[in-house]
Amino acid sequence: MIITIAKRELAGLFFSPIAYVVLGAFAIGVSTFFLQGFEPGQPASMRGTFDAVVWLLVFLAPAISMRLISEELRSGTFERLMTSPVSDAQVVLGKWLGALIFFCVMLLPLVVHAIALEVVGSPEFGPIVTGLLGLVLVGALYLAIGVFASAWSQNQIIAFLVTVFIIAIPTFAAYFVSGQTTPDPATRRLVDYISVNQQYADFAKGLIDIRNFVYFATGTALFLFLSVVLVQSRRWR
Amino acid sequence: MIVAEHLTKWYGPILAVEDLCFEIPAGEVVGFLGPNGAGKSTSIRMITGYLPPTAGRCTIDGIDVLTDSRAARQKIGYLPESTPLYTEMRVTEYLHFCGKLFGMSRNERNKRIDEVTAKCGLSHNKRRVIGQLSKGNKQRVGIAQALLHQPPVLILDEPTSGLDPQQTLAFRDLIAELRGQHTIMLSSHILPEIERAADRVIIIANGQIVAQGTPVELRDRASRGGTIVVETRATIKQVADLLQSIPSVAKVESYRVGDWTRATVTAKDDTDLRALVAEKLTSSAHTIRELHLNSPTLERYFVEAVAKKKAVQA
Repeated sequence: MIITIAKRELAGLFFSPIAYVVLGAFAIGVSTFFLQGFEPGQPASMRGTFDAVVWLLVFLAPAISMRLISEELRSGTFERLMTSPVSDAQVVLGKWLGALIFFCVMLLPLVVHAIALEVVGSPEFGPIVTGLLGLVLVGALYLAIGVFASAWSQNQIIAFLVTVFIIAIPTFAAYFVSGQTTPDPATRRLVDYISVNQQYADFAKGLIDIRNFVYFATGTALFLFLSVVLVQSRRWR
Repeated sequence: MIVAEHLTKWYGPILAVEDLCFEIPAGEVVGFLGPNGAGKSTSIRMITGYLPPTAGRCTIDGIDVLTDSRAARQKIGYLPESTPLYTEMRVTEYLHFCGKLFGMSRNERNKRIDEVTAKCGLSHNKRRVIGQLSKGNKQRVGIAQALLHQPPVLILDEPTSGLDPQQTLAFRDLIAELRGQHTIMLSSHILPEIERAADRVIIIANGQIVAQGTPVELRDRASRGGTIVVETRATIKQVADLLQSIPSVAKVESYRVGDWTRATVTAKDDTDLRALVAEKLTSSAHTIRELHLNSPTLERYFVEAVAKKKAVQA
């Protein structure tokens, strides 16, 4: 059932103009980052690209997820979906999964870049693989936040902005605290912990740390759970 | 088959549906009639399990739609108001998707899709993208989707809105064909669209049931009272004098049309004035060239009846 909904979602994404804007923007964005470091004498690594890509996702992931539930609420198809014998959790997971598959398709230019590096140099593949894996985890989290936001409103723009806002809190908290002259060490540790970019940094370096993994898995699970609650809340509101 | 017990829905401070009780036995076709904003769609959403009632409960074939929601939903084929569809999908694609949601196997889906598209007159448009179909054909896709998993209960919210008269006729034939196979609930705000199809009509206004019965019974009740229009050779003065002498006449208003007087006569109560007026005028040897009852539309009649009752209570 989840797969059925995910497939429909994926097809729906490919039919929306926003999908191509997102795919195009990502391809151009990452290629620009990549080409900056793609010259003789530079290390054959994608670490710089990966670090920059995480920033791009702050805006592109919400653009993928903003329509997930909002669009169905607006057009009324949500009513048909929710009166079928499917559970709220199946709907939420199906939609999230469909968006995540689309997200993985979006990452494909990075694979092309890795091949380009292989042609002209001899890159280490370990960090590239972990970097990509990390990006998928970041995407999973951002899209879970996006599903949650899109269940709030039938307006896609609001869903987009709410998602960016939620993502921005942990992302910018670190910079806000760094700006203070004498940051409190506990606060410092907290903001570093919640920062998606900090958590991703290890993956870009080629490390798979179980703590980073747990961070993304729990964050994703939390927002998916909240989405289910939000979808269910229509029953008691 | 469908049992609604004291269904009540508050939207914040607004009471949308109040104490709705009815029972639809298996195989019956019931029309759910009411003016826009009467609470039809809200009631239907509670019956299909999309919205929870604030109070009361509803069961489908004995299954509570709230506590055992998925089992109840499996039994319902539902066309929501304004026929929401995924416009980017092709007709068969969409039907396959719906079939999968209801747990149908591929073989079953292929077979049923052929059957329902034929039944709904979609055979030629199966491969088309839903967004490019006409309003009438979209409506057919919506109905095909509701029929797909052979649900014992069919609930169609405003299935005829936006259809032209010919399509409405085709729809009526379709319902006639489905009669006996499903328990059907249709909503509409226009009686003629559903009265031929329905065994029984439930009229709701302001969230309450104001009348229910067969279409014939309701028509009969609504034809009492109202105003009558008469055209006669008598002068305005003569008409007024003659008709005012009938005890149950409340008001006579007339004007001249050429050599004729056209009078609108209002009754004090539910009396049918037609015979009385005709006798009065012919006994004075005044020729009548027209005499008819101006009955309000059925919905309007019952809605006004509710308003009157409320006014009396207040």
